[in-house]
Amino acid sequence: MSRATAAGLARGAAFAAAAIAFPFVFNAAWIVNIGVLTLMYAALATAWNLFSGYTGYITLGQAAFFGLGAYTLGIVFEHVGIGSGYNPFYALPLVGAGIAIASVPVAWIALRTRHMTFAIVTLTLLFIVQQLAFNLRSLTKGSSGLMLPTPSFPISSYDTPFYLAMLAILLAGLALCWLILRSKLGLMLLAIREDEEKARGLGIRVTGAKLIAWSLMVWLSAMVGGVWAYYLTFIYPESSVDPLVMIGAVLMTFLGGRGTLWGPTIGALVLVPAQQYMITKLGASQLYLVGYSAVFMVVLLLLPRGILPSLRSAIDKQRERRRTHREPIVREEARA
Amino acid sequence: MTRKTLARLAALSGAAALAAVAAAVGSAAPARDSAAAPLKIGISLSLSGDFSDPGKFAQQGYKLWANTVNAKGGILGRKVQLIIQDDASSPTQAATNYQNFITKDKVDLVFGPFSTLLSAPSAAVANRYGYAFIEPAGGGPAVFDQKLHNVFFTQPAPIVESGDVFAKWLLSLPKSQRPKTAAYPALDDPFSSPIADRMRGILEKAGVKTVYKTIYPSETVDMTPIVSKIASANPDVVIGGTQSGDGYSIVKAMVQAKFSPKFLFLSNGPNSPGEFPSKVGAKNVNGIFSASDWFPQAKTPGNPAFVKAFIKAYGGNAGSIDPGSAEAYAVGQVVSSLASRIHSVDNKKIIAALHKGTWPTVEGTLHWNAIGEPQGQDLLMEWIGGQLYPVLPKSVAVKAPFFPKPAWGK
Amino acid sequence: MHEVVQAIILGVLVGGIYALMASGLTLVFGIMKVINVAQGALVILAAYLSYALFSHLHIDPFLSILIVTPAMFVLGVAVQLVFVRSLRGPDGSELSLLVTWALALGIEGVLSVIFKTNFRVTSPSYGDNSWSILGYQISEVRLFAFASSAVLLLLLSLLLTRTRFGRAVRATVQNPTAATLLGVDANRVQTLSFGLGVSMAAAAGAVYGVIYPFNPGSHYDLISRLLSIVVLGGLGSLGGAVFAALGMGVIEALVAVEISPVWSSFSFFVVLIAFLLVRPQGIFGVRERVL
Repeated sequence: MSRATAAGLARGAAFAAAAIAFPFVFNAAWIVNIGVLTLMYAALATAWNLFSGYTGYITLGQAAFFGLGAYTLGIVFEHVGIGSGYNPFYALPLVGAGIAIASVPVAWIALRTRHMTFAIVTLTLLFIVQQLAFNLRSLTKGSSGLMLPTPSFPISSYDTPFYLAMLAILLAGLALCWLILRSKLGLMLLAIREDEEKARGLGIRVTGAKLIAWSLMVWLSAMVGGVWAYYLTFIYPESSVDPLVMIGAVLMTFLGGRGTLWGPTIGALVLVPAQQYMITKLGASQLYLVGYSAVFMVVLLLLPRGILPSLRSAIDKQRERRRTHREPIVREEARA
Repeated sequence: MTRKTLARLAALSGAAALAAVAAAVGSAAPARDSAAAPLKIGISLSLSGDFSDPGKFAQQGYKLWANTVNAKGGILGRKVQLIIQDDASSPTQAATNYQNFITKDKVDLVFGPFSTLLSAPSAAVANRYGYAFIEPAGGGPAVFDQKLHNVFFTQPAPIVESGDVFAKWLLSLPKSQRPKTAAYPALDDPFSSPIADRMRGILEKAGVKTVYKTIYPSETVDMTPIVSKIASANPDVVIGGTQSGDGYSIVKAMVQAKFSPKFLFLSNGPNSPGEFPSKVGAKNVNGIFSASDWFPQAKTPGNPAFVKAFIKAYGGNAGSIDPGSAEAYAVGQVVSSLASRIHSVDNKKIIAALHKGTWPTVEGTLHWNAIGEPQGQDLLMEWIGGQLYPVLPKSVAVKAPFFPKPAWGK
Repeated sequence: MHEVVQAIILGVLVGGIYALMASGLTLVFGIMKVINVAQGALVILAAYLSYALFSHLHIDPFLSILIVTPAMFVLGVAVQLVFVRSLRGPDGSELSLLVTWALALGIEGVLSVIFKTNFRVTSPSYGDNSWSILGYQISEVRLFAFASSAVLLLLLSLLLTRTRFGRAVRATVQNPTAATLLGVDANRVQTLSFGLGVSMAAAAGAVYGVIYPFNPGSHYDLISRLLSIVVLGGLGSLGGAVFAALGMGVIEALVAVEISPVWSSFSFFVVLIAFLLVRPQGIFGVRERVL
């Protein structure tokens, strides 16, 4: 095992341990609730990053798969019955896989188009799914919304199972990203991001690589949607296919640093508690949307590469400057 | 090197997060339940986003009630303190806000948000912690379908029943005047299409033939195709399950198509005395029916005082008060009555008490069934001579229903 | 049959207005490879401006085009200078999607603070008039709206084909590097065209508010249609955008009448995806260059 691998694993294990311990240390329901939301966004951002950050193709359709996950779980509850308690969580990977497989043909069509058109086509997916949620009333109850059964967890630790479920998805997403970055697939995706035509010319199966990243993104997003639906117990078309949720995840990815492993998680750890704090403190102001868009603008315009890459290059630069004075330059290849 | 920096960064941010949490935990020390402590009431309202207008109306009603009772010494000797938080019209945030109210702020009571779509998940949170959920606006089926025992809706009737008064009135007409055919355009919205569906059920059972029905999505901005279909079916009565914007559009499209049915009922839109004439033209309003749960001149318990106080606090005139403010005020009135009847704000006792007896409010004297559905009747409103009047039920009617609807512009 | 013809008439009239909005979007893309997701929000902003002019100063909404359009041109230039110009580099196009999305949210937020979220509609006195021609109902305002859009589109195409500025624009669209070598000031062309694109949104917004009730959130629905239109027409193609807009108008009106209004915009999206299967570059589009 190389040093980098060991350090990566150690970092992951430390994060996992701290995150698992958190709801047992800070067990007030409202804190765990914020934890659930933070992990939800971290997982969504990680999923978005897995596809868009690594391939350079921006998808604006992630909310569609979050919504599909939510509705599929709701419909399965309604028509199949998957028990209560922890059982629905175990069904989620299957639900997510089904949605991911179903999304591949659509993605294949969308991926025939190039960057900008692709982004727009994925955005229409969002509206298509939302309209299906409205119109397939016998399945979804349409605009009236779908009620899921009340989870049967004890009140004192009611939020913890959802916290752990979201955490499991986030860890799965991080592990996938980590493996991809160290695999041939990661190199292929990187080549696509740098220069797709050249990658194709080199004989890389461009579409195949993109489709794998896409289905992993869909799988993760759908599972997050499922946990969210079970947590909130009530879903309706506008709330489950909400562009704002996805934009939040994108914002966090950009803030933390897209194309990096930990960037999306760091973005979520900063922004979700900050947003909750703002809502509590600014309570009754109407400037929520304006503030949201202002933060978004600032991040995009002033910090387009995100916290991690900006920090890293600033540190590298400084170190290099120091080093040129003292010792011969030894460049180090480092990628987190 | 970089890795070390990263680790340091992670450690730092982790420490910062812990510190923030610790500080927050510290500040949220549980409130002591002493007589002098304020009576804290948590309310999540949509102050931004799609539901923000009605959210603000509800806020006015809640605040007016709090100020009124505080001027008289509060509830059971405790000053009422409203903790209002924005949910940005998001159900996730609404549920989070109620979670915070109950487990962090340790409020004594919670009041409902605006809209069924936010009330349904919020009511579930309140129910989990055994809080009564007295709510002004969550009257759609999603709230009652949960069959929660802690929900109390402070309007005269569940939203789906808003059109019942009109449907029953049509059927009470002499056979020669009774409509024989009907068309039902309805907005795909939990507060709209269920109303039209229910009315269609009542009328079809009584032999009124449905010649056209459709559901249109909320982004349908163009009512012309729908209205031209209705016009070619030429029904005696048009029953629209509408909100305000599409309600205005339907009327405008009907005027343009020069189609004027004998009866026209729209569940929302025409019930806004301030806006409707300016949206469709003051000369086109007459003979149009709508539903409402409240009107400024009502003789319901406490209403004259409410109207007077409202105008004093916020300006305007009686006609500019939105029913949403009255609905929220009614929630407060229920709590005032509870204080004088059971001398307690214990949620368990409140839930038990509200399932019995009748409760006087500006929305009428309310009583609820086991799942919080109010057991009264909504008002039937009609535009007569350029003014909006309650015409049914008879006990509160100011004028008698006027029909058939005159041609447009008359 | 009567219904079908009536629906087609309606679809064409509506499509004309969408064509005007989409023309600005596709023009801006053609020149700077930037998708302005805020186009829908700018339409709504213009609708509010025109509404305010009408309700406070009693200026006819069609006349207000003459005020709203130049004002929004200036706004567009400012937006380009402040937000869009700084987006350079290989990711510039993708970033522009998100930056303009943020801008759209900001506009929505400001509008809902100023104007609240209830639906408005600009109702001039002739708002309800309609003509019957051969038994088909044609509303006066819709015809005016369509005619204004057609006139403005014609003016735009004259501007692009008959003026020095237009030649510079077309040169930039075809080959930015060559255009710069020939002495075209690329920065100036980009800034002015962005302003022009926003003016199209402004003009369309002023007429939109007469026909449809709108609130600050209406931009989501608008932008989803506009983006589909420009993709279907082929990104950067003005003719394609007009063609696709009329097509969308007709498809939606026909589905609304023949099937159900709830499926009308859905069918348009499905047509879009089906079409991309055959022709990924849109009707008149050329294959997007890899950036």
